[in-house]
Amino acid sequence: MFEEIKFPGQHENEKIILFLRRHWFIFLMRILLILISIVALVVIYVFFNSVNSNFRESAYYNLFLFGESLATLFIWNFFFILWLDYYLDAWIVTNERVINIEQRGFFTRKISELKLTKIQDVTSEIIGVIPTLFNYGNIHVQTAGEQEHFVFLQIPDPNYVKSVIVELQEKERLSEEKELGEIIRGNNKSGLSP
Amino acid sequence: MSLIFFFYLFIILIYLAIGAAIIFHMLYYRINRHVATIMFFIYVIGGILLLTLNYSFYRAVNWYGVFSGTGF
Repeated sequence: MFEEIKFPGQHENEKIILFLRRHWFIFLMRILLILISIVALVVIYVFFNSVNSNFRESAYYNLFLFGESLATLFIWNFFFILWLDYYLDAWIVTNERVINIEQRGFFTRKISELKLTKIQDVTSEIIGVIPTLFNYGNIHVQTAGEQEHFVFLQIPDPNYVKSVIVELQEKERLSEEKELGEIIRGNNKSGLSP
Repeated sequence: MSLIFFFYLFIILIYLAIGAAIIFHMLYYRINRHVATIMFFIYVIGGILLLTLNYSFYRAVNWYGVFSGTGF
């Protein structure tokens, strides 16, 4: 399902269980800024045309078009900056760990990870009318002691994601206990045999 | 009009610098190769078209007429 997805530091046999980004509604809200800018450019064009009927023949018409086209160039860049910010922020849940990839602007990138066995507490929250309608919210992953506190921000279906993490954590804990038990039993056997 | 040209060049260089940073992030930090490639082509083709259009508008402006009218 996630064969196409690659992330830095991925282990050879590591299987991606969940790949999460912020909810599409959050991206849509950001895109609204771009839409408002485009509408503003069109409105300005229509306004100047309606105020001055000879606007198209005036010496400033080409200057106006040049200005609008320059603004469009920067809006184009701005759209891709917003998209990159959305696209490069990700939370990955694998069968071994939880990875948080955070991109802030162009020059701040933070990647942190947390082993499933280190997880102590997982809390999901959906706060507000719109998040309830679109079913998105936050997940807080708590570890023991002073270690890092993970927050999955504005992800879709946080309750389901929480249950998956808890299930994986339990599975990982059991397999670790089993492994430890086998080691102890193996040591005891060798200790008892003459 | 060379002053205008240098000012225009400066703005375009800023645009290209931002564009280079976008392309770098798109391709270097790609998480999904397929999506990154498609978005890269959309960005580059759109960017080239807009830049060409902008340059043609720049050429079409009668800069001398514009600035002599305002008293520059």
